[in-house]
Amino acid sequence: MGTETKSQTTTAQKFQALILDIFFGIYFVVTLHRVFYYQVLLSLRKLPPVTVEIVLLYIGIGTIMGLALFFLNASPGKRIFRQLPDIPWKKAVAEHFLWIIGVLTIATGWVVTRVSILDFFSQEGLAGAKRIFSALLSPEWSILPQALLAIVETIYLALMATLFALPVAFILSFFTARNLMRQSPITLGIYTVLRVLVNFTRSIEPLIWAIIFTVWVGIGPFAGTLALMVHTIASLTKLYSEQIENVDPGPIEAIEATGAHPMQVIWFAVVPQIVLPFLSFTIYRWDINVRMATIIGLVGGGGIGTLLMQYQGLAQWHEVGLLVLIIAIVVWIMDYLSARIREALV
Amino acid sequence: MALIELRKLNKIYPNGVHALVDVDLTVQEGEFLVVIGLSGSGKSTLLRCINRLIEPTSGQILYRGQDVTHIQGKELRQYRKKIGMIFQQFNLIKRRTVLLNVLTGALGSLPVLPSILERFPDNLRQEAMEKLRIVGLEDKWNVRVDALSGGQQQRVAIARSLMQHPEVLLADEPVASLDPATSHSVMKYLKQLNTDYGMTIICNLHFLSLVRTYGTRVVALKQGKLIFQGKPEEITQEWFKEIYGEEAEEVEIA
Repeated sequence: MGTETKSQTTTAQKFQALILDIFFGIYFVVTLHRVFYYQVLLSLRKLPPVTVEIVLLYIGIGTIMGLALFFLNASPGKRIFRQLPDIPWKKAVAEHFLWIIGVLTIATGWVVTRVSILDFFSQEGLAGAKRIFSALLSPEWSILPQALLAIVETIYLALMATLFALPVAFILSFFTARNLMRQSPITLGIYTVLRVLVNFTRSIEPLIWAIIFTVWVGIGPFAGTLALMVHTIASLTKLYSEQIENVDPGPIEAIEATGAHPMQVIWFAVVPQIVLPFLSFTIYRWDINVRMATIIGLVGGGGIGTLLMQYQGLAQWHEVGLLVLIIAIVVWIMDYLSARIREALV
Repeated sequence: MALIELRKLNKIYPNGVHALVDVDLTVQEGEFLVVIGLSGSGKSTLLRCINRLIEPTSGQILYRGQDVTHIQGKELRQYRKKIGMIFQQFNLIKRRTVLLNVLTGALGSLPVLPSILERFPDNLRQEAMEKLRIVGLEDKWNVRVDALSGGQQQRVAIARSLMQHPEVLLADEPVASLDPATSHSVMKYLKQLNTDYGMTIICNLHFLSLVRTYGTRVVALKQGKLIFQGKPEEITQEWFKEIYGEEAEEVEIA
């Protein structure tokens, strides 16, 4: 039994190492040619176009390199899984290859993000920075009423999104808790489908959901609420279901042994154990949502973010300064309050 | 007719552990049967197979001659109602009151919705108070369970199981988390249920001294196999070494 699982993992790891080697090979060829050769050595501003032949060449050479490293046992992939035989020079090849990949990655990152110390410290740049910082530091107080109205909108937007998401996430979390759903293949199927759906939804940032919903229901707080709600449902479901998976199974056994219905088991053995953590997560989520709601406002989700976007577009930096100040204060207060409430709960 | 009959019962867990190996066991009505054996010998699995908290891999479970090995749903719940169970860790709802915990013992006979809204009929509440009187905790009815001592919690668990009007009580290491004095008090309540109410008790125990004091019959498990059946006084030094291993020394519980 033990040896069987061990040999299984090693075959799986061998396969993963092979895939990694091929990936490293192709990655190495591409970055070496396009970044190191063209941009670092030749300092080309404009890169030659990528043709199908070139791509095939990259893949071909890279794959051959990867396979060669893999079968010569100088494989960086095997090195990562600590599966290299103990031959010093082969180990050294694999390790040096990994170092070169690392250096190439940083070089590529530098080129791709156009890191330029010159821009950062240029005369013009510094003057701009001074201008914007001094404007931000002398906020325009006359728009205070408008700003307060907008931040109230943001807080309520976050609250509504959290409240709407709460019951949905609560119900979903029971269906995405492994310990409750593994009884039969049917429930396990429901679990898997829901889990994939939830993880997928969660991996899409609220900002993107906001873009989707502004197209769907139009620009404004409602789109923002919907965007936050969808994302909140997904993340609360995950947090809740993990809590359910961590409950003490003892009371579940005890209530099952009384001949209780599964609904009664959940209500009496599971729910009392999760109420407080759920409450704590929900408050924490509201706090996060207030922060996210300001960001969502930037793409037209309503609230203070939208206002910020308007003034930024008009380059009215004193007004922007006031809005930033208010956002900072409110986020700080929410953060503090939610931490205190959660402390009191647990 | 035997009350419970296990025929060639096997349990193999998904991780490959063979917890029960061809266990044949007959339990008569009114017995105080003690199951002994080392940790991991299959005692807990055996108990949980009887009320089907754990599904046996193969074999048969008969209750009063009825095959209950594969019953499901309502039938299974009706069957479980007849079998009370208490646990080493008590397994109560910690943040709730003693009375509510005792009332949960009656869940099997209550409709789902009203019970979830915690609308328990008055006669049930009175009955729960009576059960608390049996275990000597009637003055604690409104206390949160997590404020009680271990021994008191185990007595609440006994009261809870009594709400099922069980014909059998399964006790999984009921005193393993308790100190010696409390252990005896809990065991005395079990003995009282056995002698005064004729309830059949199946109890997993660690300490042989408790076995001799309370059991009417003993079976021993070793690596999932039933290797001994007999009277408590029949466990000789040789059997003791056989069950617990050569290195073992008997420890007395005061």
